[in-house]
Amino acid sequence: MVLSAAELALLGRLDLAYRRPRSGLYAGERRSPRSARSPEFADFRPYVAGDDFRQIDWPAYARLEKLMLRLYVAEEEACLNVVLDTSGSMAMGQPPKWQAARRLAAALSFVGLAAMDRVQVGCLGGGRLPPMRGRDGVSRVWTFLESLEPAGETGPAELRRVQWARPGLTVVISDFLVEDGSWSPPVAGLASRRQEPVLWQVLAPEEEHPSITGDLKLIDVETERTRELTITPGLVADYHRALAAHRSELARAAQSAGGRFLHSGSADDLEATILAGLRAGVVRRS
Amino acid sequence: MQFLLPAAGLALLTVPAIVLLYFLKVRRPEVRVSTLMFWRRFVADRQANAPWQRLRPSLLLLLQLLGAIVLGIGLMRPGLVGAAGINATTVVMIDASPSMAATDVSPSRFGAAVDRARSLAGQMQPGQQMAVILLSDHAQLLAAPTGDASLIRSALDRARLSGTPGDFAEGISLANSILTGRPGGSIILFSDGHSRAPSSPARVVAPLTYQSIGTTGENAAIETMARSASGSVFLRVANYGRNTRDIKIEMRADGRLTDVLPMKLEGNTTTDLTWSRLPASTQVLEAKLTPGDAFALDDRAWLVIAEPPRHNILLVTAENGFLEKALKLRPGVEVTTVKPADYKPGRYDLVVFDGFVPTGKLPEPALLVNPPAGQGPVPLGAAIDPGSVLPGDVRDPLLSHVSLRELHVQSAAAVKPPAGWRTVISAAAGPLMLIKEDEPRDALLTFDLHHSDLPLQAAFPILVQNLLDYLLPGGFENQVFAPSQAVTLIPEPGAKWADVTGPDGHTTRLTPPAGSQAFPPFTASDQPGVYSVRQQLSSGQRQSRFVVQLQDPSISRIAPGAEPFLQPLDKPPGTLPRGTLEIWPFLVAAGVVLLVIEWLVYLINPTRSWIRRGIRGTGA
Repeated sequence: MVLSAAELALLGRLDLAYRRPRSGLYAGERRSPRSARSPEFADFRPYVAGDDFRQIDWPAYARLEKLMLRLYVAEEEACLNVVLDTSGSMAMGQPPKWQAARRLAAALSFVGLAAMDRVQVGCLGGGRLPPMRGRDGVSRVWTFLESLEPAGETGPAELRRVQWARPGLTVVISDFLVEDGSWSPPVAGLASRRQEPVLWQVLAPEEEHPSITGDLKLIDVETERTRELTITPGLVADYHRALAAHRSELARAAQSAGGRFLHSGSADDLEATILAGLRAGVVRRS
Repeated sequence: MQFLLPAAGLALLTVPAIVLLYFLKVRRPEVRVSTLMFWRRFVADRQANAPWQRLRPSLLLLLQLLGAIVLGIGLMRPGLVGAAGINATTVVMIDASPSMAATDVSPSRFGAAVDRARSLAGQMQPGQQMAVILLSDHAQLLAAPTGDASLIRSALDRARLSGTPGDFAEGISLANSILTGRPGGSIILFSDGHSRAPSSPARVVAPLTYQSIGTTGENAAIETMARSASGSVFLRVANYGRNTRDIKIEMRADGRLTDVLPMKLEGNTTTDLTWSRLPASTQVLEAKLTPGDAFALDDRAWLVIAEPPRHNILLVTAENGFLEKALKLRPGVEVTTVKPADYKPGRYDLVVFDGFVPTGKLPEPALLVNPPAGQGPVPLGAAIDPGSVLPGDVRDPLLSHVSLRELHVQSAAAVKPPAGWRTVISAAAGPLMLIKEDEPRDALLTFDLHHSDLPLQAAFPILVQNLLDYLLPGGFENQVFAPSQAVTLIPEPGAKWADVTGPDGHTTRLTPPAGSQAFPPFTASDQPGVYSVRQQLSSGQRQSRFVVQLQDPSISRIAPGAEPFLQPLDKPPGTLPRGTLEIWPFLVAAGVVLLVIEWLVYLINPTRSWIRRGIRGTGA
């Protein structure tokens, strides 16, 4: 069980905040930019040749002696794509980032499935679950997530390889700690594929505020590169500055692609994590 | 260059040891992290604890190697072979004659001599000893034989120039007494050759090395400055050098420049001039030679113009024109002459009795000339033939500028100086002139002036003036004294103390010791210039002045003199060991500086690129 009952109750009161509805293949519970038959009235418009006679509002013709078409709100499904970083660095941290990232992916999937959105879960390191709808998919998503283990090396290029069935909201959950390559091009590639990118960074507390000091040999868990350092307060200050600059770069990449960037800690509970999502406008209270 | 302790070269093994330590690698704990992207490359220099790494260029390594090499060489005690070496016991004699104040060598001849002695002290080897003798008015043993260089240096710090030429004979005698019974001794004399030479070649018990100090004899001086009765000022200027000099004499009246007298002085000549532009009411006149030269002590002269105090002198004599005229030569003196039969005690500053002594208590002070036998404060005996007159002590102020060489006395009274009296002039058979040293002061001439040729000689008026300086209250006023000469201040009646303020503003208070009315001699007269004296009397205060300046041509001739003439040694001296000037202190200092720089480089934040290149590693 990835999420507890209390957490599921919390998530049941939330909804994903799509910036604008996307047209889906099937009718769903999301408002569509297209008009369609549905119980919910939207507007009138004058009749033009070629319109469906069945949509003419005859009572209006009786009052106005003009042919008016009655329009209804179309409700279609939305697409949520959750991309989880399964690189080796996600296993780092105390508590590990991997647990927090996986729970976050499960939570977002649950919110999407509960709203009858089409949800697709994939990994940066490869592997994905076919798109699904409805609460029935929750167990499949969780099973899939529990089957994943962080290992190996991933990078921004992996984001290009993820298959996107439909336009929608793409949430990338990662630590985004990759030395080689920039995140800006693949994030811009999401926008070109009509995806609204959300870059959700999860870091461990010791990555936010390093407590190591002295003469150390640091080893990158993904690349096995090493660096001998004498860590001083000055060097830690430099670390903080570099982290802040990295986050600014990620935020710029997301904004230029019409998306958002937010971060949370691996030590945060689900409520605090969702609160970060609320502040960033990724989720909202239904 | 030679190394006195070559075995200490083993210390240079620290050089490969340091390099070896740099080959060793620091064993650093391994920490697995998500990324290295936020960690800037920085490696501080640390102790190594794991074997072998690639040697990386490091400024710290360079500084440590340099420091180790310099210190290692310093430990080997390198030394430069010198001319004069240190023997088992070395007696260093330093001439403190006034001419050693010349600045033709830096900082002065005396300073250079002290520096050389200090350098010799630093060359002492274990088992060697050194003593220091200062040749001043009397030879002073500044440091007894010791192997402790710090004691020698401390003694040298106390060395001061003297106002009179150093006594070489006393110095040699002292050195001989030190070296007697000490084999392998030697004497080193630092001098410019102006110490007082002994009357005969000195005998030394050890080889003497004369190190001449001084490079030039070029010196001009104001030899004399005096004021005539007409009010004009007489100046005698001398050029003791070989070269012709264009000089100017600045005349300053009470500190204000009044006149400048240009003159051209040929080498080894003197020039007299008279100056009559003395402003009225001038108190102190100063003459100064410009430009200055290597010997500044004789470049200035002062004249106190202020009216001397009035003194009344009573001369009781049947007939003595010589004495009366000599007494009247002194400015400000009122001489009253009476016959012995007319003598009545009165208020006089001095009473001169010539061939007569009154009954009862003598007036004070008194000068007795040829008193009748059995009368007076000093019991006189029968008349005797005194024989030839002995040369006097040139340092006695009473005989200043008095030549006794041509003096002849036909007869004098036999006398034995009682306690408290001192013989100033003596002949082969007995004293000719005595003075009472304590207050009240008296003086006694044991012969009739008419039975000698003294009144016919130039020395007579000078001797009388010297006696008046000694006997009259305030006799020192407006007078000129040689530097470092003890000045005897004759107190005014009832004087409680006297404050003497020198040219540098330093004030010395003189107070008569208990049971005496005389001031102790003023000895802090080493600076040329005008000294002011303030005496505290019961009726108020009395202000007066005297002058200290060098007016001795023998001192002003500063050309380095020849080596002193010595008797040959009883035993051949052998070869003086060659000494060495050790340079290890400089190397140690350089090594310490290098290590301090290394420490600073280690401590400072490596912001400068060249430092950062030096101390950071190449990264993993």
